[in-house]
Amino acid sequence: MENLKLKIIKKKDVLNFLDSLKEEYNILVPKEKDGDIRFSEFSSGEDIPWDYRNTKISPKEIFLPRTETLFSFKEGTLTPSDSGGVFAPANEPKGSAQKTDSNKRTANYLIFGIRPCDAQAFSLLDKLFGGDDFQDPYYLKRKEQAVIISLACNKPQITCFCTSLKGKPDNEEGSDIILFDLGENILTKPITKKGEEFIENLNSWFKEAKEADIEKKNKLMDLSLKKICSGVDLHNIKEKLDEAFDISLWNEIHQKCLGCGICTYLCPTCYCFNIIDEMDHETGGLATSRGKRIRCWDSCMFSLFTLHASGHNPRPTFKERMRQRIMHKFNYCPENFKEIFCVGCGRCIRNCPVNLDLRETLASLMSFGSMSKDKKV
Amino acid sequence: MKEIEEKIKETVKKLFKENKIDIFIGYSEGTLPLRSTPCLITRPEDIEKLVWNSYCFNNLAVYLPRFFLPQTQKKDVKLPRIGILAKGCDSRSIVGLIKEHQLPRENLYIIGIPCEGMIDIKKIQDAGCKMKEVEIVSAEEKNEKVIVENEDKKKIELKKEELLADVCTSCKYNVPVIYDVLIGKEKRKTKEEERAAIIEEFEKKPLEERWKYFQEQVSKCIRCYACRQACPNCYCKECFAEQTKPKWIGVTDNISDIMFYQMGRIFHQAGRCVDCGACVRACPVGIDLRIFTYKLIKDVKEFFRYEAGVSLGEVPPLSTFKSDDKQEFITEP
Repeated sequence: MENLKLKIIKKKDVLNFLDSLKEEYNILVPKEKDGDIRFSEFSSGEDIPWDYRNTKISPKEIFLPRTETLFSFKEGTLTPSDSGGVFAPANEPKGSAQKTDSNKRTANYLIFGIRPCDAQAFSLLDKLFGGDDFQDPYYLKRKEQAVIISLACNKPQITCFCTSLKGKPDNEEGSDIILFDLGENILTKPITKKGEEFIENLNSWFKEAKEADIEKKNKLMDLSLKKICSGVDLHNIKEKLDEAFDISLWNEIHQKCLGCGICTYLCPTCYCFNIIDEMDHETGGLATSRGKRIRCWDSCMFSLFTLHASGHNPRPTFKERMRQRIMHKFNYCPENFKEIFCVGCGRCIRNCPVNLDLRETLASLMSFGSMSKDKKV
Repeated sequence: MKEIEEKIKETVKKLFKENKIDIFIGYSEGTLPLRSTPCLITRPEDIEKLVWNSYCFNNLAVYLPRFFLPQTQKKDVKLPRIGILAKGCDSRSIVGLIKEHQLPRENLYIIGIPCEGMIDIKKIQDAGCKMKEVEIVSAEEKNEKVIVENEDKKKIELKKEELLADVCTSCKYNVPVIYDVLIGKEKRKTKEEERAAIIEEFEKKPLEERWKYFQEQVSKCIRCYACRQACPNCYCKECFAEQTKPKWIGVTDNISDIMFYQMGRIFHQAGRCVDCGACVRACPVGIDLRIFTYKLIKDVKEFFRYEAGVSLGEVPPLSTFKSDDKQEFITEP
């Protein structure tokens, strides 16, 4: 029954297809720049790098930009930021993926071709930014206006370990539509109602998928799944870590950590941020009443992250910070959201300057004897 | 390489046996192809983990200052005795740190290794293995070659010489400048002149062009501070970039904030940078930091006839004043 919803679009038609949507959507596609792939605005005629592995900087920056102005203030009055859409206004910081043509009328946008692990990460971030306790209007507004089209992985990387979490090469969670690259054809499968409607409205571009296409897709996915050969047994990791706060293993795990923010900044699920007020420059930052309230990424790996005004720092060394990163993802988030906040994309493994491999860290935590017996810190 | 690796293990075993060190810092096998990983050894049984190959590119000196923080140096605590593996660049960083009173020489046991140059993973791309297309699943070093295997089990043979990092090909201090024992003694030819030529070429460009290049490069920065954290010289307890009282720079990725950070950090390296390339390697977004750090090195050499981390005796130019010090660079940028 489900197969009825599967449609085919010719790969060579995809560029025209996206072109036809340019008025209606701001379209973000993977693009090559300086040897890395990053999500950037689609421009006509520029081909999609269909076989790209994954972006270096995760697409979380689309919904949670590195820096964003929440509002500006002047002598007691507040002006909400006009960066309501993901496309930041022209005066926003340079270098962000979402920087684009600010004259666009539309606030809708289309994320085309993100990897399933990153799409799943969005569904995790939704739990935080759109949970029962707090709703983050900045994140949610962007998220609601987006159609997320993911691209199943034909060629996973050696650092991929999504199968140890909830993922797989064609994981559907977090996507509105998932695409399969079959070579000449692209097989599309709607996941959500939003995705179904999207395809229905554009029906003329698609035709029914044949049995052979579906078979080909299944074969590709089987093959791809087999290529993910690294993994960690994370069964009951939350319960294991419940007892692990004081174990001596933390003394060893962090030793080679340099304390940079690469793992957290490239991570698709790390969401910690800092909020600061930036005063206008002309008054020299002193006793001014004009400025902006800015939200920007922050990292638990930085010493300033927990530095108190008193000068006390409850996480004074790399050990406490590293423990926080692991515990937050694999213990506190499962406690709060019933989900591990890791999708196994492997960015932190690939890009760590000292090859501190999260898989190894987790494996050693999982195999650390009876944790409760060892309380030595 | 294997011979050297065995000698390293032997030496470290002896050091532990004779109770000369408490901790040893070296490299062990990485989890990814073309990677070795820093490793801290406290138990003699872990010595077997140590490796020596062309992927030992991390500057290990970065791990030293944390054992000798000023507050622990003042207290009446016993400081650890640390054994460390040092390539030429690591040894120069150690010299710099000793001179800046961050390390007590007597607590270090340095195993110096004349380095034959380390592989730059990014160079593999230039050598015909576009990472977007080729996923390297394993690598093997054989004589002067590196044989990488892709996911389809296809083997690709690459010349090691072509894969060496720029900092390595232009390095003229591949033999450590300070050590307690030296394993191997090969001096390697360098292309320092070529590197200097690139900088001279850059210097000749008009101001606007240089400024544009600088802006382009730093605008990639995501403020992860990996360059700072990987640098042995960046041991400040609190970095100017993160100070809040007073606050020197904003925390955004606005170009002026980023530029302030990058410029501030780079200038703090004047007369201190040993050109180990740790910052360049750590940068996840590929900022060409070395064009700026190397310019500093060149200037310090020209103006003050000083090279950082070469000898323990020489006084760093920023710690001294001579009446004939050059000062044109202040007035004529």
